[in-house]
Amino acid sequence: MFQNRAEAFALALPAALFVTLVFLVPVVALLSEGFHLNGSWTISAYVDFFSSSLNQAVFWRTLKLGAIVTVVSAVIGYAAAFAIVGLSPTAKGRVTGLVMMPLMISPVARTYAWIVILGRTGIVNEALHAIGLTDAPLRILFSETAIFIGLLQLFLPLMIISLISALENMPRDAVPAARVLGANWFQVFWKVILPLTREGLVVGGTLVFTGSLTAYITPAILGGSKVLMLETLMYQQVSVSNNFVAASVIACILIVMSFAANILLKRVATARNKIRREGAAA
Amino acid sequence: MIARTLFIPVVLLLVLTFLIGPFLIIVAASFSAGETLAFPPQGFSLQWIFKVFTVDSFRASFATSMLLAVGGTAAALLLGIPASYALSRYTLPGAEIVRTVVSAPIIVPGIIVGLALLRYIVVPMQASMTLILFLAHTALVLPYAVRVVSASLENLRSDIEEAAVLLGSSRLGAFFRVVLPNIRGGILSAFILGFVTSFNQVPLSLFLSAPGVRTLPVDMMAYMEIVFDPSVAALSSLLAFLSIGIVFAAERFLGFSRYV
Repeated sequence: MFQNRAEAFALALPAALFVTLVFLVPVVALLSEGFHLNGSWTISAYVDFFSSSLNQAVFWRTLKLGAIVTVVSAVIGYAAAFAIVGLSPTAKGRVTGLVMMPLMISPVARTYAWIVILGRTGIVNEALHAIGLTDAPLRILFSETAIFIGLLQLFLPLMIISLISALENMPRDAVPAARVLGANWFQVFWKVILPLTREGLVVGGTLVFTGSLTAYITPAILGGSKVLMLETLMYQQVSVSNNFVAASVIACILIVMSFAANILLKRVATARNKIRREGAAA
Repeated sequence: MIARTLFIPVVLLLVLTFLIGPFLIIVAASFSAGETLAFPPQGFSLQWIFKVFTVDSFRASFATSMLLAVGGTAAALLLGIPASYALSRYTLPGAEIVRTVVSAPIIVPGIIVGLALLRYIVVPMQASMTLILFLAHTALVLPYAVRVVSASLENLRSDIEEAAVLLGSSRLGAFFRVVLPNIRGGILSAFILGFVTSFNQVPLSLFLSAPGVRTLPVDMMAYMEIVFDPSVAALSSLLAFLSIGIVFAAERFLGFSRYV
């Protein structure tokens, strides 16, 4: 460790100053716009925003899709992570690589693929028609279902990777021990695996939940102009209605929700750890 | 027992199909001979792959995205390497604040940053859109640069540079001759991660477009709203192979995943 303060400041200052000027100041200015109307400080923009039933619907849809995507990705993530952890080391490396591969591909390309699959003349509709289940094409695209599928595919790799490392850090004999002591698989998962992998679940869950809340590309391509989420609503407010106050309100809601999710989930993780540590001490 | 032996292959097959299948469909669709995007593709041709290279707006926006990804990441490293060095080798008062400030751009959604820059820098200062895009992408990549470079500095024992100084090297000389060669892998990994992040970024660049200045993914989204032919599929496949190729090479030669 070096003690020269002047040197340390000289090294760190350019980066900190850059972020402050190019990022912090403009963002804070944008956020303050929603609280500062006609020369006085007020929350009336927020009251206005939430009094619109369209905005309310978008707000709840964003929260709902975020929650559903997080829960479903956790369920699939556990199954997938289990299967991957059980593989031989070489196979594990390859499959983990395949799981991570989508993260390198442009989200625009990944989301675009679902148009080919879910569209009116897409694979799903052609297949349903061919086996005689439907007469007219189903409207899957531009719906909450389409957004859900797109988000799940976008964020599932993050959950799987968090859970793989959590499962690998679990004591090896925990599961066999619980089995020997007579626990069934449901009890093993609920009482042994879940508590021991909670941190990985919280890390993955935070990434998936905040990622889904703040998604733009997926709702823009798969939700169309009718099924909006908060970010696509924000884009519309600016580009269609020129309503910067509403955009500032949405920006603030998005930031508050992301921070709240981060803090809440961190709390959950540490609270459980405390219980575990105290339990171990006793 | 049968249920358990079947569990692993079935789960892996389903999950990998869901994750990678859509991408394979896009690749197949880009070789279609038909006029509209469809799967299974109608016939086989390379016309859409060739068409990508003839669309003027794609060529311009590809150049813009490349410039932002390479230039923005390089600038982020120029700012980020000294900051990481200060954070890991010095007792810096307020180190936590510096760390939080520098990693803040990762937490705030890009669309908000883009709009904030448009409202408070582009419009009042009449700034050039390319310059603002460059600054925005630098800020976007900076947290990744600091994280990856800090990680590789933590892995390097600090007593070797102290030894170099004791043996008569200047502090700057010790950094360039001892530290820098040892964190080269980390810096290259940070560069690749930053490049991919910047190149694929959409929300940040959404509001930051001017006539003739647009990033490639934003251009692709605009194009696919108007034209429904397989050229976006062809472009997506080309880009995907490019980034998979870069990351694969990085993993092969640098052990990329150690740093990320």
